[in-house]
Amino acid sequence: MNFFRLLGAYFVVSFMGEVAYRVNFFVQLFQTFLNLVVSLGGLAVIFSYTDKLGGWGPQEILALVGVYFLVGGLIGLVIQPGMEAFIESVRDGTLDFTLIRPEDSQLLVSIGRIDIWKLIDILLGLGIMTWALIMLGQKVGLMQAGMFVLALAAGGVIIYCFFLILATLSFWFVRIENILVIFQSMYEAGRWPVSLYPAWLRYGLTFVVPIAFATTIPAEALTNRLNLQTLLGAVGAALVLLVISRIVWRVGLRHYSGASA
Amino acid sequence: MMQPPPAIHIKDLRKVFTVSQQDSGARAALQGLVKRRTIQVAAVDGISFDLEPGEIVGFLGPNGAGKTTTLKMLSGLLHPTSGEVKVLGYIPWKREKSFLRQITLVMGQRNQLVWDIPAIHSFELNRAVYRIPPDIYRSTLDELTELLELKPLLNKPVRNLSLGERMKCEIAAGLLHRPTVVFLDEPTIGLDVTMQRRIRSFIAEYNQRFGATVLLTSHYMADVEALCRRVVVIHHGKLLFDGDLSALVQNFTDHKTIVVRLEDCQADLKEYGEVISCEDNQFTLRVPKAETARVTERLLADLPVIDLLVEDPPIEEVIERVFAQEKP
Repeated sequence: MNFFRLLGAYFVVSFMGEVAYRVNFFVQLFQTFLNLVVSLGGLAVIFSYTDKLGGWGPQEILALVGVYFLVGGLIGLVIQPGMEAFIESVRDGTLDFTLIRPEDSQLLVSIGRIDIWKLIDILLGLGIMTWALIMLGQKVGLMQAGMFVLALAAGGVIIYCFFLILATLSFWFVRIENILVIFQSMYEAGRWPVSLYPAWLRYGLTFVVPIAFATTIPAEALTNRLNLQTLLGAVGAALVLLVISRIVWRVGLRHYSGASA
Repeated sequence: MMQPPPAIHIKDLRKVFTVSQQDSGARAALQGLVKRRTIQVAAVDGISFDLEPGEIVGFLGPNGAGKTTTLKMLSGLLHPTSGEVKVLGYIPWKREKSFLRQITLVMGQRNQLVWDIPAIHSFELNRAVYRIPPDIYRSTLDELTELLELKPLLNKPVRNLSLGERMKCEIAAGLLHRPTVVFLDEPTIGLDVTMQRRIRSFIAEYNQRFGATVLLTSHYMADVEALCRRVVVIHHGKLLFDGDLSALVQNFTDHKTIVVRLEDCQADLKEYGEVISCEDNQFTLRVPKAETARVTERLLADLPVIDLLVEDPPIEEVIERVFAQEKP
């Protein structure tokens, strides 16, 4: 498929660029390790006082942490670097080179930069999830696995659209990268189930900054507590956002080509 | 025989930008956060010209004349405010894939190559994006490598290349898909004379081999003199001249230069014309075109002339005069 062909080509370029800087690999490894220690340490402390947190047991929260690393890795692997590169290219004018290429510009922008070391987070996330499931002693049925993959995909798409819409604002405001930084600190909230938070924050993390879709909902699927309704809601939201972000992108591009010098 | 349609067609092309204005001072800056005053600026103001397939045309104008804006409208990056643009029969801003596959835009001041990796990997990326079949990619790459002498450069990280080397790689990257229409925006800017010459001869060669239509902007008249028979000059977004380079000189100069070599530098030549310089007994005079013959005759009659030469002023000077004019 065209998408994977191009993704592969961009991946190779990013890979070539990164292996030249091996230091980054160790920096990323260290960062991931710190992140892991903080997460697990926090869990250990909290569960020394209680056995349930908002209805979630320790192994279930551990599964959530796994999802948190996995999705965080996906965001850091392609979504965030791509959007940062895109915002930069609007400012320095190199977006022009993307726009004269005979491929869909939204696609090219979305995979334009890949931070390969985030694969570490993805692998770690998968590892933690597996570990949590083993500890839960729970068999993952086909149905459950399917729901998890679907929820994960929907969450990924929703986060991608969210990023894209924000980044597209740079067509109007040019300097917008701070918004992405804010997202990163908000994503930290995703390492706990959203049911833990007060109602206003829960709604905020679901509908304003859609972190609940990215972490809590897939983790719910994994721990067998997701109902079909929520899943369908997530998939529906993903599809709607996909359409909206596409429209915003097109309007943004038209604005860019109408106004930029 | 039927006349082939022009490769590039522009008619009454206009591009108006809305530019926000800010007075100086902190207060004005704060006000600017809330409300901006805007003005309309016509960067391109009703220009028309056609390029035949295979032509190399120099596109000249001072900074801010509207050259880059025009190139961007031609390559589909900007939407014209009004007027007609057609390139290879396509409307550029629709950015159809089949159109984009046939054009390229190389900008001397911006890079498309990935900074940290050898150029060859960026080339591979272009191969994927432009879907260049492997055998055609191979042969094009070989050809470009030979013409631009890229061999020692391809495997070095781009950041380690000199400006000129990088430019050669940029040009190659832009031409891998063998575009038939090539937009070059200051491809030789900042390069030393040897490198400029090499790039120039490459452009001529590419044009010959592939019959590509080339629209070239440059601040170096040597580029234009070497490559373009025809030039299009714009200023303040308006077309000032479109025709042969030699005709440009004829149209925009009412003076000729007379270089006289005398036995000594003592003589005062003020009465013959404007003395521009006197070095080693060699005077350079600026004389109104109509009086050239008469002045020459008088110089020969009055003075101990060893040598005398009548010339058109250098093209740089002509261009400078053209640009110095106010709106036509």
